[in-house]
Amino acid sequence: MHEVSVADSLLKIAVDECRRSGYGRINSIRVCIGKASGVMPEALFFAFEALKAGTIASGATLAIEKVPVAGHCSACNADFTTDESFVLCCPLCHSSDYSIHSGRELDIKELEVD
Amino acid sequence: MKLSVASKILDANDRIAHENRRLFSAAGVFVINLMSSPGAGKTSLLEATIAGLKRSLNIGVIEGDITGTDDAERINRLGVPVVQINTGGACHLDANMINEVLLDLPLDEMDLLVIENVGNLVCPAEFKIGEDLKVMILSIAEGHDKPLKYPLMFQESSALIINKMDLRPFLDVDVGKIRNDALSLNPSIKIFELSCKTGEGVEQWITWLQTLNS
Repeated sequence: MHEVSVADSLLKIAVDECRRSGYGRINSIRVCIGKASGVMPEALFFAFEALKAGTIASGATLAIEKVPVAGHCSACNADFTTDESFVLCCPLCHSSDYSIHSGRELDIKELEVD
Repeated sequence: MKLSVASKILDANDRIAHENRRLFSAAGVFVINLMSSPGAGKTSLLEATIAGLKRSLNIGVIEGDITGTDDAERINRLGVPVVQINTGGACHLDANMINEVLLDLPLDEMDLLVIENVGNLVCPAEFKIGEDLKVMILSIAEGHDKPLKYPLMFQESSALIINKMDLRPFLDVDVGKIRNDALSLNPSIKIFELSCKTGEGVEQWITWLQTLNS
């Protein structure tokens, strides 16, 4: 259900940014969503469609770029990227001495405006 | 026309959480965000914690529920300041909800504030509210598969309380698997096994809380 809060926040940021730059209509919004962020793209699309009505983004499309989970393992000294949402050990050497550096993103990247 | 934005979507929440944190620090209050699924024992743990710490620490509580005041009434009976937030449907507390009730609590007189989040093993883990640390409860009746099914909360929490240990003889639950999976997801998580009903194990949890506050 928190996808509604996320959609609401991203719409507010987009509308503020569009107005501040002197434009009046948002055509598209590009966001990056980490695979471990807990946000379901389908639910975010649904919430976005429901909330955009009546705003300057009412005709906007939402483009979601999914960011995979990536990290570094200190045991085998290698960087890794995985298709999994959550990591339990280094996918290369199975050590638990790893750190995650991406995959939790919830970022708004770019707007297309008129 | 393309506009580059590069902003965090939850930035508005994070900024308010940061402000809450600043107010808590200025008042000298240590803040715990207590999370679990519905019925795992958050309010029971609070009652046991207040009973164990009331003489040495001034405690306050914020209760988060979708609706109702049952939990706040339970805490109120123990004579500690409590504020009830009803989210009216939202499945988690966010930083703004906390910010709006801060003036209702005597922060300057408090050492420890426990914020009981809405019962939900998913969304509360994703919203900072200004806490010093997150603590989660899993009751063994929920089953040993929960860490791998709901990994984010286990990753975000500094401590895991495994509650309802008194039910162990009646359940086919592998407590060792809960511990191992939680530690795989979060090697630094501190784990306590206890029963709020019998009181067994509660003392270790209370001793740990006291070390955090000293």
